[in-house]
Amino acid sequence: MHKHKLLPYLLLLPTIAVLAIFLIAPIVSAFIMSFQDIPFGEVIGFVGIKNYRVLVGQERFYKNVLYTLEYLGGNIAIALPLAYLAAILVSSKFRGTVIFRTIYLLPWIMAPVVTAVMFKSMLDPACGPIPVLLEKLTGNSYSFFTNPTLSMLTIIVHSAWRSFPILMLFIAAGIATIPKELYEAAAIDGAGPWKKFTNITFPLTLPQVFIALVLITAWTIPDCEGPFALTGGGPGRSTEVLALRLFKDAFINYNLASAATTGVILIIIGIAIVVAYLHILRGGGK
Amino acid sequence: MSAKTVATWFGLIIIAVIVLFPIIWGLRTSFGPKSGSVELIPPFKDNYSPLIGRGLSSYIKNSLIVALVTAIITLCIALPGGYALGRLDFPGKKFGILLVVFPLLPPTALLVPLVTYMVKLGLYDTLYAVIIVNLVFNLPFAVWTLSSFISSIPKELEEAAAIDGCTTAGIFFKIVLPLVSLGIITITMFVFITAWNNYLYAYALTQSPDVRVLPMTILAFMGQYGIDYGGLCAAGMLALIPPIILFLVLQKHFVSGMTAGAVKG
Repeated sequence: MHKHKLLPYLLLLPTIAVLAIFLIAPIVSAFIMSFQDIPFGEVIGFVGIKNYRVLVGQERFYKNVLYTLEYLGGNIAIALPLAYLAAILVSSKFRGTVIFRTIYLLPWIMAPVVTAVMFKSMLDPACGPIPVLLEKLTGNSYSFFTNPTLSMLTIIVHSAWRSFPILMLFIAAGIATIPKELYEAAAIDGAGPWKKFTNITFPLTLPQVFIALVLITAWTIPDCEGPFALTGGGPGRSTEVLALRLFKDAFINYNLASAATTGVILIIIGIAIVVAYLHILRGGGK
Repeated sequence: MSAKTVATWFGLIIIAVIVLFPIIWGLRTSFGPKSGSVELIPPFKDNYSPLIGRGLSSYIKNSLIVALVTAIITLCIALPGGYALGRLDFPGKKFGILLVVFPLLPPTALLVPLVTYMVKLGLYDTLYAVIIVNLVFNLPFAVWTLSSFISSIPKELEEAAAIDGCTTAGIFFKIVLPLVSLGIITITMFVFITAWNNYLYAYALTQSPDVRVLPMTILAFMGQYGIDYGGLCAAGMLALIPPIILFLVLQKHFVSGMTAGAVKG
């Protein structure tokens, strides 16, 4: 059996090597870069916590954080209830629900840039069906990409529309594990559908709801693909979430020190989410 | 039909409309004029043929290379790793849980150092860089999922083969591989779709038009051609074809593969 002692490590070696070089090392590099002065991509030297001081001293940074929280909060508020409702509906025992589950999963497998194009064509003030219909109904005109509130709403709805399907899958998987006998017993006791939901379905799917919450948080905070394609952070900077700020700093304005510093803040938030997730996996969700 | 049945169908249809409306509108627009039409069925215009003149076929080729190569390499690395974690016992195995949490880290934050690495390696502005970064962000999930598929294979099958004189490699190829084919399908498809859809990594790691991938092209069209929704939606619809075909063919396996971890958790 002694040959098995080395075998697992050999089999895992490629995985470990790839992750060490291109995942762990970049995290360390990001931390180091956040303490350096890097004008035009050239490292000049260490500057202590100057990058953090500059960032935290900006009003723009607080707005970035605020918009990130709005983006996240709005996303959770729309995607989670929608995912739960969809999960209950596709779990009902009718013929045909499988087709609906397939349809519901479509947004999730589509490229963010493609769904952004669809949303833009749908919300265009001149030829979009949504603004035109709203104008007919209310008499006011709605310009989704020049009004800051409507722009924020647009990136939130787009993101929630994209992420609810996977949350639905997790919640539906939770619903499928609930023993049928519980519902039969409740029916004998005279419980209606609402009672069954509040006393059986909801409490027993709480672990999956927590997992869904952690996942959507972990995906939404670093998301810049949707906002960049939809609004580019505008109008002004009214939809510039933290991840988009990082993206623009790094790849459009080439302010690498600022980008790395924002990156470290995102990594710290990410690690906090990871800790919460591990806590749930290790029985917090039981 | 009971009131409950009616309500269920009503809900199912409403959500289907919410999901499908943007997609159908995009499809409609891809056959319509550049802009300025709100009719449900606009006057027909072929927006697809002009895309070839804009070099779309070479961008599609780049995207196919990135998605396919990423999926194949991910599988080649994840299979042995998944076998070790799913079947073998060894000190340090508990660190495998890190594979569940790595996908929660923000890729956006790691791109700045990754770009400097790729510049130093001489890989910046090549498809290799895009493939490597796609691989990195897909690998943890792939290894973890395959390991949970492999651990669900009854150990007795392998023990019986070992008694019959099968080598470890023989057991892997003759017993394990056929039994995890579902896991392999799930992973290949997931990685292919993720890599096909992503523009963030390509945007960060490439500059030249000749290594451009399809989603980045659509993004570039958005800036270049303003509100040519006809052309944009046509390019978007072409980008949807591979993921949708893969998904429709394999979705049953995919759904069970994706949620295997959620129920255990």
